[in-house]
Amino acid sequence: MHPSLPTAPDESDLVRLLTPQGERVHHPEASWSGTDADLLALHRDMVLTRRIDTEGYALQRHGELGLWPPCLGQEAAQVGTAHAVRSQDMAFPTYRDHGVAWVRGVPPEKLLGLYRGTDLGGWDPHEHRTALPSIIIGAQCLHASGYAMGIVMDDAVGHGDPSRDAAVAVYLGDGATAQGDTLEALSWAAAFSLPVVFVIENNQYAISTVTSRLSNVPLVRRADGFGIPGVRVDGNDVLACQAVMEAAMQRARDGRGPTVIEAVTYRRGAHTTSDDPSRYRAGEETEYWEKRDPISRVRALLDSIGTFERELAELDAEADALGERLRAACRTLPEPDLAALFDLVHAETTPELVEQRDAAVAWRALGAEEVV
Amino acid sequence: MAHFKLPDVGEGLTEAEIVTWHVAVGDVVAVNDVLVDIETAKSVVELPSPFAGTVTELLVEPGLTVPVGTPIVTIVDASVTDAPADAPAGDAAPEMLVGYGPKDETSGGRRRRRPVAAAAAPAGATAVLDEPAPALVPDRPRAAPPVRLLARRLGVDLARVPCDGVVTRRDLESFVRAHEAAPDPVAAAPAAGGRTVPHSAVRRVTAAAMVSSAFTAPHVTEWVEVDVSRTVELVDRLRSDRAWRDVPVSSLHLVLRSVCLALRRTPELHASWGDDALTIPEHVGLGVAAATDRGLVVPVVPQAETLDLRGLVEQVAELVAIARSGRLQPAQMAGGTFTVTNIGVFGIDAGTPILPPGQTGILAVGAITRKPWVDEHDQVVPRWVTTLALSFDHRAVDGEQGSRFLRDVADLLHDPALALTV
Amino acid sequence: MARMNIASALNAGLRAALESDPQVVLMGEDIGRLGGVFRVTDGLQKDFGPARVIDTPLAESAIMGTAVGLAMRGYRPVVEIQFDGFVYPAYDQIVNQVARLHFRSGGALSMPIVIRIPYGGGIGAIEHHSESPEAQFVMTPGLKVLTPATAHDAFWMVQQAVASDDPVVLMEPKRRYWESSEVGDVATPAWSSVVRREGADATLVTYGPMVATCLAAAETAAAEGREIEVVDLRTLSPLDLDPVVASVRRTGRVVVVHEAQRTLGIGAEVAARIGERCFFHLEAPVGRVTGYDMPYPPSRVEEEFLPDVDRILDAVDATFTAGDEEGTL
Repeated sequence: MHPSLPTAPDESDLVRLLTPQGERVHHPEASWSGTDADLLALHRDMVLTRRIDTEGYALQRHGELGLWPPCLGQEAAQVGTAHAVRSQDMAFPTYRDHGVAWVRGVPPEKLLGLYRGTDLGGWDPHEHRTALPSIIIGAQCLHASGYAMGIVMDDAVGHGDPSRDAAVAVYLGDGATAQGDTLEALSWAAAFSLPVVFVIENNQYAISTVTSRLSNVPLVRRADGFGIPGVRVDGNDVLACQAVMEAAMQRARDGRGPTVIEAVTYRRGAHTTSDDPSRYRAGEETEYWEKRDPISRVRALLDSIGTFERELAELDAEADALGERLRAACRTLPEPDLAALFDLVHAETTPELVEQRDAAVAWRALGAEEVV
Repeated sequence: MAHFKLPDVGEGLTEAEIVTWHVAVGDVVAVNDVLVDIETAKSVVELPSPFAGTVTELLVEPGLTVPVGTPIVTIVDASVTDAPADAPAGDAAPEMLVGYGPKDETSGGRRRRRPVAAAAAPAGATAVLDEPAPALVPDRPRAAPPVRLLARRLGVDLARVPCDGVVTRRDLESFVRAHEAAPDPVAAAPAAGGRTVPHSAVRRVTAAAMVSSAFTAPHVTEWVEVDVSRTVELVDRLRSDRAWRDVPVSSLHLVLRSVCLALRRTPELHASWGDDALTIPEHVGLGVAAATDRGLVVPVVPQAETLDLRGLVEQVAELVAIARSGRLQPAQMAGGTFTVTNIGVFGIDAGTPILPPGQTGILAVGAITRKPWVDEHDQVVPRWVTTLALSFDHRAVDGEQGSRFLRDVADLLHDPALALTV
Repeated sequence: MARMNIASALNAGLRAALESDPQVVLMGEDIGRLGGVFRVTDGLQKDFGPARVIDTPLAESAIMGTAVGLAMRGYRPVVEIQFDGFVYPAYDQIVNQVARLHFRSGGALSMPIVIRIPYGGGIGAIEHHSESPEAQFVMTPGLKVLTPATAHDAFWMVQQAVASDDPVVLMEPKRRYWESSEVGDVATPAWSSVVRREGADATLVTYGPMVATCLAAAETAAAEGREIEVVDLRTLSPLDLDPVVASVRRTGRVVVVHEAQRTLGIGAEVAARIGERCFFHLEAPVGRVTGYDMPYPPSRVEEEFLPDVDRILDAVDATFTAGDEEGTL
């Protein structure tokens, strides 16, 4: 606890399995029992998530993207929880959850279109069982509750069958806990005992507004009032994040209802590339959180349990290649075609839209003259 | 060589100040090495390099504010192997296409425009009779759009048309007639060497109507030569009858009467074509084309099918008289559903008439002359013969109806007694 | 008085409002310490304190609903909706409460609330950040809607909105925030439209972000020999169409221009009223140049979606050729 910083959390009730120094610790209610390969996989996904994120940020500064919301510092919360989401489950991420999208198998190029303005969210939600990121804060929580209702209606919970039982993971930020949609979704999920896990990535800031200034209690306690169990986890501890998420998702798949997880983390970057965090927070705060970096503690753990030089060198090369791949892909993203967009407005288009489309196409076909 | 253009780093920013360069000319940079700090209306941010290579030029001094899109640094890509992924971009700088901020909209000129239609009116000049524009632009004269369009086609400046608040079609027509009585001396001035005949308003109306009809309705014309001796005899008999002494009946009137009768059997010939339906009117508005010294006018006999022959003769006589005096009111030319034009008065045998706009049929009556005719006994005999020519709108009717109608008219004129049978 | 950009002029206007009336309070997401994502409220919390310039939770419906309570208590809340697309969560409070309480209470309650919304596209933004929802507020009885196009209007209009006892939606053209112009000492009368450029040949009616575009179109037209009058509506509710009517009665040709989608946009209402009041002066049907009837598209095609000089002049051209083709009238 760092009393002078508004974002240093009360750690007394945090589930933690890996300290910032990289030491495994015991927790009475949570455990992580993966192999070295599992640990390397988590590490790899966090490193590559960070690479996607830093490339996205740089591409905005290069003038290639209109905007980028960085997830720097939140890799463990995203990657750890997403590792507990199975292929038959459904994920509802936010626009900052690049790590969730990566783990769910969404090609990272497809994250760029929304921010380059070539599309409005570029993947098929069914294909990756991952919804398009919600930009309207909190809206996705209701969608998740509704999707979970569908799972129940389809009788896809409570069979003890790991390939059949399904659940929903919905991600939201701390800011979203103030939105009516979010609270209504919790109410709904509790009322129908829905198989949905609400993952609050408490990165401490809703743009400039520090969470502790707007809530006297940990956000996880929002769940109490709805009778939903809540877990507060060290969001920079990938092992703990995976462990609590596995338990919550299994509870949901078993038909025992929703869970709220508050993953306590920190948004080390700006809200977006349009934001200037120096206006509302001090540099020492960032330093405090850099020492709690989610990747370096796993790296320290890896160093302490074995020699992974080859794997780590390969990972570095893989990250560099991924960076180059993203830079090249960004510039060659397919350009949108206004004419085709007319046909996307409805499932069955209308004569009025056809007329507008044809007029727009005819206008475009005139071709541009040289400016006189 | 690549130029790095100042990006919009914050959703709609237009410019930024160069604060500090982190590189100097000659420095070798990798992709994403920090090049420079810039300050925008929102914040100070670092710009990472989009290129690997050697810095060859810093294009903007610290302290200067430049618009988004301005090249700020030149980097020569010395080692392509450093950044193979950038190879497709080649030497050209990547375009700064996103987050471009508002466009400069003061640069004049159009980039895209429709081809100008050949007949397009010059800007702001719709009136050939216009006077010099007064310094203070007054309100437009008030008129309904169709009247406005007619005025434009006639070349009439609505501001000169006397009216009671709103220029109506009637006001416009009256003005046109009055204007014709005293032609504009300027407009009428002959060109050197030749002779200029200014269009009369009637000429303009006719021209507009004919062009409109000819290019809208697909015309079909059929004609038939017919022995009308019995009609001529009938006219002679009537003229010698005391009861008809003051009635100027002629063969034309029997043509008109025959048309009314034939329309009973084939009313499609006076229908009006619409986008969605054919409208068959209740009554026959019978247009009778009349040559006047102002040009062709077509007064209309309303409810012509309700008139007997005498009624027809009187109505036509009255209308033609008014038309020749130039006092025909627009309402007296409106409502036509079928038109008969008597080209015979000019000594002409036949022609292919053009439909009045909106009508489906027009009948041209040629001169009635003595001709050798093979009668029913195979004898060549002199008879009164004329040619009837019918043009009809092929959208509305087919040859079957057109032929039947024309045949009916011809038969009635050949043997007026057949009128008893219809 | 001074040359400044629209964002700065709004800032100065809000400052003046805070200074002149202690009941004025500002609420919104990130408007305090950060100064707003567009810096429109920059420095105001520092100078007027966090009790009057309030950083709120991220909850638009709550911002609007609590503004109602504050207004009932005698305050004059000025709330910022961070981006146009974020107003929809607050839509229920705006339409069902803010707009109706004066009516419902028989005049016992007034709702002197200002709802500031940065609106419109053209900045390469992502989804929900380029919307033009003004017509939805114009068609809601009980609301007034203003939109400035110049720094002068931004400075004065925000103060006029605060001074109004009616709820006012202030639509701020975000793509013009950083454009500078002169701010004069005398306010243009509230609830009035103005002629921004005179011309005898045709009339452009527009507002907000499209004013500059229409002026550029008029400039191009002038070079081609055609003089276009440009009317900046400024007030969308109530509409002040007297300058429009006067202009159309002189020119006989009019085109309405806005970024918002075409169907039931402001252009529809303006065209209807021109039909009512200028029918006998019109040389051609009222033209409209608008966004297309689709959700705001990905920003890479927004230039094609948004009205530009070429599309505007094409519509003006059409008012000169209307009726030339047979069958069009």
